[in-house]
Amino acid sequence: MAAEAAAQLYQAFVDQDPAEAIQVVERVRASGVAQDALFDSLYAPAMGLLGGAWASGAIDEMAFTQAAVVAEQVGSFVMPSAARRDTGVTVVLGTVHRDHHSIGRTIVAATLKEAGYRVNDLGVDARPSDFVERVQETGARIVIAFAETMRTARSVSSIRDVLRAEGIDDAVVLVSGGPFIADTGLARDVGANGVVGGAEAALRIVARVARDRASAGGEA
Amino acid sequence: MAESTEGHKQAGPVRNALFPVGADLYPLDDERASFSDWYARDLEPDFAAMAAAHLSLVRVFVSWKLFEPQVGQYDDEAEDRLGELLAAARTHDLKAIVTFFADDRLAEMNDVTWAKKRDPRTDDYLIQREVSLVQRIVNRYRTDPAIWAWELGNEAFFTGFTSEDALQKWTTTLREAIREVDTARAIMLGVDAETLVRETGVDATAATGVFEYAVSHVTAPYLSYIAEGPLTYGPATYLDSFLLRCNLRSAPVLADGVGVHSLDGSVAEEAAYVRTALYSALMNRGAGVMVRRWRDMDAEKREPYFRDPFEVLVGLVDGSGDAKPALDEVKRFTRVAARLDLRHYTPAPERAAVLIPAERHEPLPSLAGLYDPRSCLQAYMAAKEAHLPVTLTPEGAGFEGLMTLFIPSAGKLTPVMWQDLASFVQSGGSVVLSYGGGDADPAVREIFGVDFLGDHGVRSIVSCRVAQPGLLGDLSAFDARLDLPHYALVGGGSATVVATDATGSPLLTLNQYGQGRAVFIAAPLERAIAQSDPWAAPEPIRHFLRTVYGSVACAAGAGPVIDCDDPAVEIAHFQSEDSDVVLALSHDVGSRTATLTAERVVASVSDVRGGKPAEVGAKSFGVPLGPNGTAALRLDYK
Amino acid sequence: MAGRSPAVVSAEGLARKGQVGAAVRACYDALALGERGAHVHALLANLMLDGDFYDEAIAEATAAIESDPDCSPAYLALGLAYDRRGGMSDQSVLVWHELAEVVPDLVTAHVQLGEAFSAAAFDEEAVGSWKRALELDPRESRATYNLAIASLKREGMALALPLFRQAGELDPSQDELFFALLGLADAPVVAVDPARVKPTREARLGAAGLALKADDIFTAAELVRSALDTQPDDAEALALAAYAYLKQEAANEALACALRAVSLQPDLTTALYCLGVVYARRTGLNRHAARVFIALAKKAPAHALVHVLLAESLLALQRYEQAGKAYRTAVRLDPACVRARFGLAATYLTEGRHAEASWEIRRAAYYDTKRQGLFWRLYEEYVAAGEEA
Repeated sequence: MAAEAAAQLYQAFVDQDPAEAIQVVERVRASGVAQDALFDSLYAPAMGLLGGAWASGAIDEMAFTQAAVVAEQVGSFVMPSAARRDTGVTVVLGTVHRDHHSIGRTIVAATLKEAGYRVNDLGVDARPSDFVERVQETGARIVIAFAETMRTARSVSSIRDVLRAEGIDDAVVLVSGGPFIADTGLARDVGANGVVGGAEAALRIVARVARDRASAGGEA
Repeated sequence: MAESTEGHKQAGPVRNALFPVGADLYPLDDERASFSDWYARDLEPDFAAMAAAHLSLVRVFVSWKLFEPQVGQYDDEAEDRLGELLAAARTHDLKAIVTFFADDRLAEMNDVTWAKKRDPRTDDYLIQREVSLVQRIVNRYRTDPAIWAWELGNEAFFTGFTSEDALQKWTTTLREAIREVDTARAIMLGVDAETLVRETGVDATAATGVFEYAVSHVTAPYLSYIAEGPLTYGPATYLDSFLLRCNLRSAPVLADGVGVHSLDGSVAEEAAYVRTALYSALMNRGAGVMVRRWRDMDAEKREPYFRDPFEVLVGLVDGSGDAKPALDEVKRFTRVAARLDLRHYTPAPERAAVLIPAERHEPLPSLAGLYDPRSCLQAYMAAKEAHLPVTLTPEGAGFEGLMTLFIPSAGKLTPVMWQDLASFVQSGGSVVLSYGGGDADPAVREIFGVDFLGDHGVRSIVSCRVAQPGLLGDLSAFDARLDLPHYALVGGGSATVVATDATGSPLLTLNQYGQGRAVFIAAPLERAIAQSDPWAAPEPIRHFLRTVYGSVACAAGAGPVIDCDDPAVEIAHFQSEDSDVVLALSHDVGSRTATLTAERVVASVSDVRGGKPAEVGAKSFGVPLGPNGTAALRLDYK
Repeated sequence: MAGRSPAVVSAEGLARKGQVGAAVRACYDALALGERGAHVHALLANLMLDGDFYDEAIAEATAAIESDPDCSPAYLALGLAYDRRGGMSDQSVLVWHELAEVVPDLVTAHVQLGEAFSAAAFDEEAVGSWKRALELDPRESRATYNLAIASLKREGMALALPLFRQAGELDPSQDELFFALLGLADAPVVAVDPARVKPTREARLGAAGLALKADDIFTAAELVRSALDTQPDDAEALALAAYAYLKQEAANEALACALRAVSLQPDLTTALYCLGVVYARRTGLNRHAARVFIALAKKAPAHALVHVLLAESLLALQRYEQAGKAYRTAVRLDPACVRARFGLAATYLTEGRHAEASWEIRRAAYYDTKRQGLFWRLYEEYVAAGEEA
């Protein structure tokens, strides 16, 4: 079945028939092949056939080029999706009050966004009340506070305090920055639930928190 | 065995009298402050915090400008402030190093306006004024138990000297001035001869020789010259102990100026670096540690961080006095150091040494003064990676007590040195010498058993093919990219060719000479690593060096009693009659587990700070270490 | 300036051959013989820079500039010495600014000025400098790498990665990898006459590789065609064809040939390379690219750039830590790999390791400027101008 479809797609390329090529893709998709698998199961074998046909002289240079144009047109139908799906999970993050370091936060925020999280970035110098207001506004239950100096790192505790004062006891507060790497006890002292060591670590931790909350029946 | 934790708190000593730990307390902590704000703020909380961290020492700086505003007229208020400072130190069980002539490029301490720009280092009249000031202060406090030592100056001040004679004259005059008044207290010069000669060309070795303590410290110019790069791995973490051992002569050496130079790194990196430097000092015969600054300088900051123009911006507490992670490192370290009774435990003797060639002191156009310290540092690292108890010895100092010598990439040695080397090897010593370029001395043929045929010149690939497997350790073939400035073509002779390059030209030879062994490496590998990127040195070449070093030293009886399987982990072994102490320090930013192997069965291992011993019952045991992690373990035997 | 003394000419010769010690002595001999002039100090500054003795280089370059404020090679040496020494970005900014005025078309001056601005945390000015460098030379890869890093700091990896790849393709190292995989790393760039190629498979493919190296796509295509006419299932010939199509921006033809080649010989490194490069250009195929480059890294682990390509595909998958490992492997194999240094800097930034990231960028600049041999261009122009005067 797969080999047959690849051969049909190849033939459509050679026949310079993009409509037929699209129909082949749609037929295969309708047969239950997932979008992410189309490239490997259909398109790549068809392209291999095309390469073989050119190599053997079955098609000449001109036909090869024209077939490649059709292949290009069909490409978007078989390409795995580049954009990650929306996870539905909201994350509020910001650099804490009196701290103006932004590089680490920007990279983490962009990484989370790219991975499909709904990121609310408060920027630098964000007061505890800014965090809490945004949590209330968005219903987020994951907060990441960034700090690079000891003094500002210690002030993360006031985010937790204000969250509690507002009756938000179930928010997960994560922290990130050099002070928390240097002093592993600091995160605990300021009432944080975990330390985000970097952008990839942020993905891991946020995914785990979201999973745990989902399995516990809550929303992240 | 778990890495040391703070879990086991027991009563016991909190300070080690034989290994004091302290910090420099600068008079100003704010760029915008005036010279007259000299120690003007309330220092009580700082002293209390120092005491809480179990520091023993604090360095304070005299301001000549403030003390003697007019010729011969002394400011009572300034003197009283110093008195209050010392009284506060005493209250908190701290002892002070009082430094007289220091330049911090902020407090204008030597900027006496009436001096009219005459040089306080060479002008006879000013020197007489300095003598008066020093004697006045020493006389007032000579019986004060809060004084640990008098220090003549700091290195920033001494960089103003342009000749050895002037330095010698000034130090002798000031030292004698103190001795006239105080015959008991230690006097320090405040100069690391190795770093000063780098910066000024002035050799302070003779001048430092008469003082009770020597100091070693990584200055910013020295750091940028020898190990400019990331601070928590590569040569940077070996540099403090390298300098300490460079200064180990007759007097004990304080590892001074410990700490990072700029606010470029995060507080986590600061802490990790401080940890490595503290342990390095204790593990390498330091007599104590002084951290470079107590409190951060309040300076303009731009992201990621403002760079440090004064070298001393970064402290253990921040600008508002809050502890930084580096202070926690100091606290943890003082607790460990306090439990290492240096009257009971002595460091394993170093039977191997890296030779610092005399050519190191040659001025330009000789490049030896520039190349050799870097080559020596790389050799030192290779020996440490082989876990050898290793030290440094200057050419001409003799080889007493040594069994193995490493001579890395030297351009030339003196005729006397060649004779001494021949005697050393003939009588049973071992030597590893790497070719440093130029014509080989005839002694190479005699000692190393190879005929020198010429310098093949520049190569960009180092190749190794093993001719005699197992003869000098577990060597393996490799081709690695590294720019080599020279390659000695050698042939004939009595030496055994152990390894060659890709085309059969000897790379490594071994010659039995008299009762000893002489190993020749045909390329300046140590220099080549130092001159490329020591943070990204090809692992096969590092492996080659440490294997050769380790194998030669072990065969000569200069190997470690407690071995380790991980080259990134430095081991220091302290011995006593009934038990041993092992300090382990990881020079890597990743977590790792080192396996330590003793020569006899270890019954149990415990943290030196106390706690329940872990049963071992074997010669080997694992030590997990975090990033730049440390462990301090007591080993009990059956 | 009068003619240079024999001692200086000798010093220049020795310096060009990398004989630093002898060249320094020759310079000192020239000074001892009374030769005065900024050029001797500039030469000494460059020699000190070659030996990584930055304080000495700064002293000599300063002496040169004091002697002649228009001594452009001395500005170059001084700026490089400040940059490499670290912690002197303010001074460095002034020097590069000066050099950019003395030699306005010197692209590197603008790139370095940008890096000095960046080190001093003047990000807007830095970006402006790199853009000016690209106006002067749109193929300036280091300016593009720097813009990628700036983009990462301000916008994150998704926007920075295309810039990294764009810079990578400007970087000649990628083509060098293909020829290294072909076994032609050290082969000379020579014109190939297809009429003189023996009618054997080996000769045709060998000559096709050489023709590609000489950028003669048509001759290569003709030779590959002859080989395929004899043996259509020749994977190596198909891989050469894939590369030729890649060079002509014909990605689908390249893909077809590479897929066919890999189906015939799954571990053929040249085919894996072409396939990976095509995949890496399509955002949806990052996973495929990573898979192919992992296979290539297993098959050809000694090539630094293979690990760089793998790392870049891992960055696209947000696997920054793995990417960092691959970049580190590349740097260990080739410390001069500018692309790996910048990539490593990017992964450090994702982990909040700013100081190490700055260090990698500085090392990249170090190797890049060493490779360019710019000093000699400026030195020769300076000396020639002096002699004319």
